[in-house]
Amino acid sequence: MSNDHDHDHDHGHGHKPPAPMVEEISDFEALEIAVRELAIEKGLFSAEDHRRFTEFAEHIGPTPAARMVAKAWLDPEYKKQCLTDAIKASFAVGVDWLNPTGFGTPSDYTDLRVLEDTPTMHHVVVCTLCSCYPRPILGFQPEWYRTPNYRRRLVRWPRQVLAEFGLTLPAEVEVRVEDSNQKCRFIVMPMRPAGTEGWTEDQLTEIVTRDCLIGVALPKPGMTTNIPLPVHKPAKPAHH
Amino acid sequence: MTEAAKAGAAKTEWAPVPLLEDIKEHGRVWEDLANQYGVTNPDPPWKTSLDGMCEALGTTSCSPAMAVEKRWLDGSIDRKDVGGAVPLPLLERRWEEDELSETLYQDVPFPERQLLALTHSLIKRGLVSEEDLAKRMKLIHERLTAE
Amino acid sequence: MSQHDRTHHATIATGKGDPQCFKGTAGPAKFKVGDRVRIKNLPDIFYTRCQVYTRGAVGVVAVVTHESPAPEDEAWGHVDQSEWFYIVRFKQKDLWPEYPTNFPNDTLQTEFSERWLESV
Repeated sequence: MSNDHDHDHDHGHGHKPPAPMVEEISDFEALEIAVRELAIEKGLFSAEDHRRFTEFAEHIGPTPAARMVAKAWLDPEYKKQCLTDAIKASFAVGVDWLNPTGFGTPSDYTDLRVLEDTPTMHHVVVCTLCSCYPRPILGFQPEWYRTPNYRRRLVRWPRQVLAEFGLTLPAEVEVRVEDSNQKCRFIVMPMRPAGTEGWTEDQLTEIVTRDCLIGVALPKPGMTTNIPLPVHKPAKPAHH
Repeated sequence: MTEAAKAGAAKTEWAPVPLLEDIKEHGRVWEDLANQYGVTNPDPPWKTSLDGMCEALGTTSCSPAMAVEKRWLDGSIDRKDVGGAVPLPLLERRWEEDELSETLYQDVPFPERQLLALTHSLIKRGLVSEEDLAKRMKLIHERLTAE
Repeated sequence: MSQHDRTHHATIATGKGDPQCFKGTAGPAKFKVGDRVRIKNLPDIFYTRCQVYTRGAVGVVAVVTHESPAPEDEAWGHVDQSEWFYIVRFKQKDLWPEYPTNFPNDTLQTEFSERWLESV
């Protein structure tokens, strides 16, 4: 694909040329569709349920939790509310915990706690027993969050695990692990980084990535995507 | 899962499913396709749909329903007591996915691996059949590549 | 499946939320913020959400969170008896003897229902 062809101009709608796409249907893609269609035909779930769950799954960025943090950085009163009644504070970023998905799930518990980082304290969240996560405000868990690797090791070797995410903290900073095991759900409120003076709420929201809200990364100006997962390449690639 | 349940789990024999073996051998994984077409998205477009499907088939997060499931995994109650309220309970699927990821599908990257494992779990339960899947995949290829 | 009613949240918690729907049902809280507590080593007969690595450890109550039936009961649909829940803070070195000594301030917090705690 080339970026300098004739369509690389404005058609009057402010469009950019389309990003490149994969222009073939892989067997995996066809399999995903086939399983889904057959499951729907057999009544295992409805297409509507599936669409809503998928839409919910795609709610990844910037998350409402990111906006909550950005707002709190700008507004001390709002910050106070986040720290004392995060369920109420969630309304300001468009999340109603009593009705987060529009269809309700029995596990959407409604006690959110915001963990405030300070110059001497860094929080990081895990659920060692399964993968409890503040989904209404942060979307679905990343894959690594539910791996035994993260769940078992973070409580015991937090600095080692954080270092694997590229986050090394000085010894004088207390690392506080929050093992989410009951009905409380947690997000981390990191400190506003230097270099963001005068930024708008939208700009600040962009740098509060999901990983910052779990506590495995710190916000930085210019870093608006979550760090890549440490993917283990297959020992023997099975494709051609 | 308890050590006892893990020991039990290790005994599970996962019979290869020919259709899935074929996809595993010949299907092109996302990393490969993305590189070829210059796409930077780390996940294939069907990834969130797969997530949605797993959710729709099972329970969510740490519900009490999951607690009942855990007792089954611990071996303290029978599978039949887990209840038929969902087609494929989340923990059960995840447990099988872990198993399959270490055995049949250990060389397949994520999320292709997750998709193969989910399909395997559904076939094993008779919720979808290999024959139906093969036929449907052919139809889908035709539908999506129709001129 | 007779013991577990999957829909109880929907019927009890609608419009209020869970755990809010259990507010006021546990009586007075036995512990307060700052209390030193030890995690009991109760037998896991059926189901629990009390992690093994906390058993026997001593920590400090950091937050008194809410009232709710304990998961050990709720898993079976028994929601009549609520308890207070507490987030307890531990020094990492009190949980893991081998925790590196150059990070003596590191901590871990997790939550317990009242039945798991005893005063120190």
